[in-house]
Amino acid sequence: MDNLELLSEYSLFLREKKEEGKKVVAFISHDNIPEELLDAAGFVPLRLMFAGNDELMDASHDYLSPSTCAFAQSCIGLFSIKPSHYRFLDIIDYFIISNHCVSDICASEIISKYFNIPRLNFYISYTKNDNSGKYFKLELLDFKDQLEKISGIKIKNEDLKESIRNYNNFKKKIFEFSNLNIIGSEKLRVLQRAMLYGPPFLPELESHIQMFKENQVQKTDNLKGILITGGSIFLNDFLIDLIEEAGGNVIFFDTWVGYSYYSQIFEDNIIDSIENPLDLLVNRFKNNIYDDHSVPNFLENKISQIELVYQEYFKKTGRKLGIINHIIKFCDHISLMSSHLKNRLQQKGISVLNLERDYSKANRGQLSTRIEAFLEMM
Amino acid sequence: MSLIADDIVRFSSVLKIAYNLLTGREYLKRKKFREKKKLISVALPFSDLVYGFPDLVPVFPIRTHTFKMHKYLTYLGSASNIFGWKNVANFLGYIKNMGIGDVSKIIDEIIDNVIDTVNDKYNEMYDIGVENGIPTDFCYGIKILYGMHVTKGKNYDANLNYTIRCSAWNKYLESLKTINNSPKQIWIDIPPRNVGNALELLIENIYDGIRELEKVSGNSYDRNILRNHFQVGNEIRKVYKTILYEISTSDFYPCNPATFSEILVILNNSFQDYNSNAIRYRDNMNSLLYEMKERVRKKIGMDVSNMPKILFTPMFGGWEPKTHEIIYELGGRVLYADWDLLLTLEEIPIKTKTDPVEAYASYLMNITTNGIGCDNDKLTDSYLRIAKKLNVDGLIFNQVFGCHSVSNCFTMLKEKIRRELEIPSIALTFNRIGENIEQVKTRLGAFMEMFRSFK
Repeated sequence: MDNLELLSEYSLFLREKKEEGKKVVAFISHDNIPEELLDAAGFVPLRLMFAGNDELMDASHDYLSPSTCAFAQSCIGLFSIKPSHYRFLDIIDYFIISNHCVSDICASEIISKYFNIPRLNFYISYTKNDNSGKYFKLELLDFKDQLEKISGIKIKNEDLKESIRNYNNFKKKIFEFSNLNIIGSEKLRVLQRAMLYGPPFLPELESHIQMFKENQVQKTDNLKGILITGGSIFLNDFLIDLIEEAGGNVIFFDTWVGYSYYSQIFEDNIIDSIENPLDLLVNRFKNNIYDDHSVPNFLENKISQIELVYQEYFKKTGRKLGIINHIIKFCDHISLMSSHLKNRLQQKGISVLNLERDYSKANRGQLSTRIEAFLEMM
Repeated sequence: MSLIADDIVRFSSVLKIAYNLLTGREYLKRKKFREKKKLISVALPFSDLVYGFPDLVPVFPIRTHTFKMHKYLTYLGSASNIFGWKNVANFLGYIKNMGIGDVSKIIDEIIDNVIDTVNDKYNEMYDIGVENGIPTDFCYGIKILYGMHVTKGKNYDANLNYTIRCSAWNKYLESLKTINNSPKQIWIDIPPRNVGNALELLIENIYDGIRELEKVSGNSYDRNILRNHFQVGNEIRKVYKTILYEISTSDFYPCNPATFSEILVILNNSFQDYNSNAIRYRDNMNSLLYEMKERVRKKIGMDVSNMPKILFTPMFGGWEPKTHEIIYELGGRVLYADWDLLLTLEEIPIKTKTDPVEAYASYLMNITTNGIGCDNDKLTDSYLRIAKKLNVDGLIFNQVFGCHSVSNCFTMLKEKIRRELEIPSIALTFNRIGENIEQVKTRLGAFMEMFRSFK
């Protein structure tokens, strides 16, 4: 199934939800938004995880400067171009303004203000310690309050816990799926679908796992293993194709669409042992140390994580893993640290390609050449 | 130039502030090596906490650099030690008045250098920042600050870091750890919004920062010392605001408007660390205000009633310093008021709060929630507030290349200006000092045409 079919199917899914009386809350994809609270309050979370293109980026320039993150530009473009690329964007009821980065704030505000989508606020601290955890809880309480006001229903602790459990089981299943030995593009396709739909995708995910386990595992030994870090590969992006065409295979998605999402899981006994479900979400926030949002230890944490995956892969296969640091142009978090990340990993003998790009089609050839050269060098 | 030089040499207080700004290196060397004080690097106007420890000296990093005209300034400083700044200024003014050839030329050069040398140094730091790994995508301010730390970071005993709305800023602060021999990092997290007991968390975060400063200092925190400093800091803020709202909005200036803008630039730079000596800075600020008022009273200066007031903002992250000269030549006057726009010129409320840390937390929270704002609506409201307070006739919005925070609100701001202020506005793009001057001139020329019938 290609993305066109996926998106049209997703459109139907959302319309059905709307007919059931549910409201859709959209947000720019990032890893600290408490989807479970939305779910427990009866809302449908819609994660904006769609790649851009020239048209979408251009359409944003009426609202912000072209020297803004290409993903944020494209998110605005999705709303400013009419008729919408994706019709389901027209049925969004609320938009979450958050501060994963300042481009997240700017783009979300523009979408809310100029396209008349009421806003919900959810901000997080930049540091990660006990007090930022306490602040996270304040935001959760405030967010819960906002949701209760608009839905008119009180979110019960047991309902929230149930949602946390559902999402947790779902993420565990994605984790299991991510460990399958299948080609990266296939893995990404399922990952993207899973994150777009959320737990309702669980039965399909289970059948995917079953199918891939039973059927012959696709041969990937002749391809060079790649870990992709930095910016996610979003829906409709051609990057994964370029990597595979050049002879690479992404075995680890160290990005929002990938490990940052499905690694945020609890052991079942933890869910049962903590009374207040908001505390579970706080713990998750505090444990999310690989999150690119936080300071001051992002770089160290990221390096140790990549090194760990690299060593495990080497131990398992006897082969080296190449790192592609995917830098969406003008991304504050990834871009600023990119040269330091590369230098530090290269000092450890790990090859890194800092691949900076926007969503312009014209870059395709250049990206392809750089990826090919990198894989050859490996 | 020398309209600006002609004016500045007659202001002894400006000379003092400029001198202290640019001869920071010698001053700081003395503090560090002779007096065994510790240097704490700060940027943006967040130096106040450091003053709670008498053996710690806050420093805005550019001030640890040597400037080309250092020799002249040293002479000037020596002369002022003997004759006093006022006499030096009078003497320089006399020479200017007499137009004594070579000497007059040297004075021009000194003053020109005061202004240009800082900008040259900034551009030098920009290149060093980029050479050392800051991608060109980022704003001028981040590149130059990184460059300053690469070159002189080893001189600091700690960096005092405050998280703000700008994600690039926060990441830049983390990236300072990648520089060899980088000093200790002290972080104070400002919660993005004032929800629930966020203020209490901020108070705790400040106390955590104080405990870290205690470790660097070796001395215990004394609330009375901090409180006394806040008093001094508040006096500085009061004078700064008086200059902004009384002098700059009046119809008669104590100097030509380009000089006045230049003074505002010097204040903008020096306010970040009070030139490492808050009491001296306060005294100089008081003298400056006094001198300005005296000149106005004596009708020394310039009638500017027919010159439109143009608010140029934001400029703290980098801007084209020729702007105010160009606008002056085009018949306007430029006002820079970034620090009040971001609410950093508000009082630290020590009158209403007994604990100075609690007072400082309220001050910082106010900056976050109402000044720079955690969202663009608040931020754009800040621009409107200042434009109204200064009663400006036009607004130039400085879109700094690579700024994803404040520069991105222009669309929203323009709409609000049109709706609420009904004054002309334009956006100018900026990447690096000295780049595209001709284009800037053309755009400013077109903009100033709108004020042709200004009376």
